[in-house]
Amino acid sequence: MSQINRRNFIKVAAAASSATALSFPSIARAAAKAKVVVIGGGYAGATAAKYIKRLDAGIDVTLIEPNPVYTSCPLSNEALVGHRDLKTLQVGYDGLKKRGVNVLQDLVTGVDRARKTVTTKGGNTLSYDALVMSPGITFHYDTIEGYSESLINDIPHAWEAGPQTLLLKKQLEAMPDGGVFVIVVPKGPFRCPPGPYERASLVANYFQHHGKKKSKVIILDGNDSHSKKGLFNQAWAKMYGWEKEGLNTNGMIEWLKGAEGGFINKLDAKTKTVSSDFVDVKADVLNIIPPHKAGRIAVTTGLAGSTGNNFEKGWCKVQPMDMASAVDPNVYVVGDSCVAGEMSTYGNPNAAFDMPKSAHIAMAQAKVAAAAIVAKVNGLPTPQPYYANTCYSVVGDDYGISVAHLYRVVNGTFKYIPEGSGVSPVTMPDGSPVPPIYRKLEAEYADGWLRNVMADAFL
Amino acid sequence: MKRAVLSVLSVAGLCAATGALAVDNIRGLAMTCDNCHGTGGTSVGLSMPSIAGLPEAYLKNIMMEWKTGKRASANMTRLIKGYSEDEIAALAGYYAKLPWKPQPQSVAADVLLKGKDASEACENCHGKTGASEEDDTPHLNGQWAKYLELELMKYRDPGFAMPHRKMTNAAKKLGADQVQPAAQYYGAQSK
Ligand SMILES: Cc1cc2nc3c(=O)[nH]c(=O)nc-3n(C[C@H](O)[C@H](O)[C@H](O)COP(=O)(O)OP(=O)(O)OC[C@H]3O[C@@H](n4cnc5c(N)ncnc54)[C@H](O)[C@@H]3O)c2cc1C
Ligand code: HEC
Ligand code: HEC
Repeated sequence: MSQINRRNFIKVAAAASSATALSFPSIARAAAKAKVVVIGGGYAGATAAKYIKRLDAGIDVTLIEPNPVYTSCPLSNEALVGHRDLKTLQVGYDGLKKRGVNVLQDLVTGVDRARKTVTTKGGNTLSYDALVMSPGITFHYDTIEGYSESLINDIPHAWEAGPQTLLLKKQLEAMPDGGVFVIVVPKGPFRCPPGPYERASLVANYFQHHGKKKSKVIILDGNDSHSKKGLFNQAWAKMYGWEKEGLNTNGMIEWLKGAEGGFINKLDAKTKTVSSDFVDVKADVLNIIPPHKAGRIAVTTGLAGSTGNNFEKGWCKVQPMDMASAVDPNVYVVGDSCVAGEMSTYGNPNAAFDMPKSAHIAMAQAKVAAAAIVAKVNGLPTPQPYYANTCYSVVGDDYGISVAHLYRVVNGTFKYIPEGSGVSPVTMPDGSPVPPIYRKLEAEYADGWLRNVMADAFL
Repeated sequence: MKRAVLSVLSVAGLCAATGALAVDNIRGLAMTCDNCHGTGGTSVGLSMPSIAGLPEAYLKNIMMEWKTGKRASANMTRLIKGYSEDEIAALAGYYAKLPWKPQPQSVAADVLLKGKDASEACENCHGKTGASEEDDTPHLNGQWAKYLELELMKYRDPGFAMPHRKMTNAAKKLGADQVQPAAQYYGAQSK
């Protein structure tokens, strides 16, 4: 736990007055108790900024984000296939400003952890008592021969919602019936574990409704299994003629696992052909999701691991109690940049209890960090943290599924709680089929969830 | 204004005042619910219910029904099994003390009239506008109509376990064309 620097940290030591300060907003207008800088205004950063202000208005919070408008990745697969307008996924930062957060439209270029300062591209230098590091992810294009960032205007990833989503949408619309849409999935961890399979489902749904029934969706997976596999396979069998794993089946969706050739390491951009050690697959529309790691600024700041397996190297380890970085108690790493959960299970496909990289858990982490920062500033002990996740996937008309994860912190370490976790039922307990109402309800809840998370983070 | 005191900082005080709650940080626990149910338990998502301000006994009862498997839910059964009975009681107490904030939604006059007619069969238990003060009865006034419609669908579906017999019977007596108007009638009420 990170109590080492508490004495320097506390600007107003009178702990007794802290609770009272909350009920009398006038006190909040006095000199700031402490300065918090938040790097990145995604789900994680926005939530952290909002909740620090909500818990203690006397703390000065500055959020730094280069974009004036945020576009939510969650449910951007619906925008991809025309089920919703991209605008429903966009939100600005006025809500946070109204809550008293200083929003600086700028890019952070450096962090001096010794001096506790942050510098920006726009030439600003800000000092902090606590830093929230939430820059999301950075793509790494160099693991596939022949692939590079300059190709993404022809071969979109659409793994960052916005223009990339619309570009891929256009390509799918232009693709004739009988065409092949290929999704290349990187080796995990990647953000939104069910995302590629949700995308495959919705694109198949789009093909069915738009006179492209002879088209195919091929998933070339860097991994040997995937999130909610039983549920996806069941839904695909029901709606998209799924037969079995492997290529050259009669189903509209095909999935090739890493060990059997799904792990792609070569691209011929001209012909949109991707290759592994086993297969070459030519696409009409090609969607490569590049491997990714913690946001660049988190890495240059020295917060990311430089050794270990794919789950450790390039991601930022944190303290379970408060989301403080494992290497700096004054820096809190929340959202996709961090790696958290039951460490011993990382990379084990049968027991992967790492926290998924989702907007939902990013917000849970941010709330834990916010509460810990507020407690620390006020000289109070770190409150007990709770981490909960749910990822909905909409996979067809009136058909939604989900997975939930719950973590507690026991004796200072993350503990996955199976009783509060798990996927939507594949069958009912007695083995009978799941009534359609369950799938319909979850499709409806996905939309309600989206509106609430967007508001809970940004408004 | 008093609500602000229920912050993470005053948890110790809160627990002391209410007695034996074995929950370290109820505010932090509730913050995980607010992702789905809205900041402070008031939803802005049409299919997700506001839970702030619902009666404590109702809240506790349905969460326990989910936990013990008596009541079906597409999501809540899975989530709630991860929480102890003490935590569930504390959550019920926490949300019940927050204010009910109706979100009255506009609806076409003819639908409103149809819904009002349908709601006569419900008035005994839910009051004229759905603002019942009974401890076992949730507020319907200004709850999201989309959510209420989905709930009625659940009560009417024989394959979906909803243990409240009287409410289930009332829902089944509605005509299929009355379900949406009834939900929209309650959703439109501000008080
Ligand atoms: C197709 C798709 C579907 C998804 N669906 C879901 C879903 O249904 N449910 C779910 O929970 N999650 C979903 N996710 C995952 C979710 O999008 C991420 O987990 C979430 O966005 C993580 O939030 P974050 O704040 O950590 O990162 P981001 O949202 O990426 O935000 C990071 C922010 O930091 C800013 N930034 C980066 N570097 C700097 C810098 N140097 N200075 C200042 N600012 C900087 C960026 O501009 C960006 O705004 C999905 C993802 C994808 C791609
Ligand atoms: C992943 C989203 C999600 C999370 C997280 C979540 N809920 Fe829910 N909750 C739902 C949905 C969806 C419904 C409506 C459907 C139902 O009742 O099954 C619901 C319904 C409820 C209801 C019933 C409301 C009513 O009017 O009858 C209560 C009470 C409730 N939740 C409490 C909680 C509490 C307490 C938590 C935190 C421990 C929580 N929920 C976390 C999704 C969520
Ligand atoms: C006998 C009393 C009674 C009658 C009559 C009745 N209700 Fe209910 N209603 C309840 C109770 C009690 C609950 C909570 C039940 C539970 O725990 O499932 C409820 C729950 C509901 C809910 C779910 C709200 C939520 O937040 O989840 C809706 C919607 C609803 N009623 C609508 C109606 C409508 C419409 C009618 C008339 C057609 C009606 N009720 C008639 C007692 C009644």
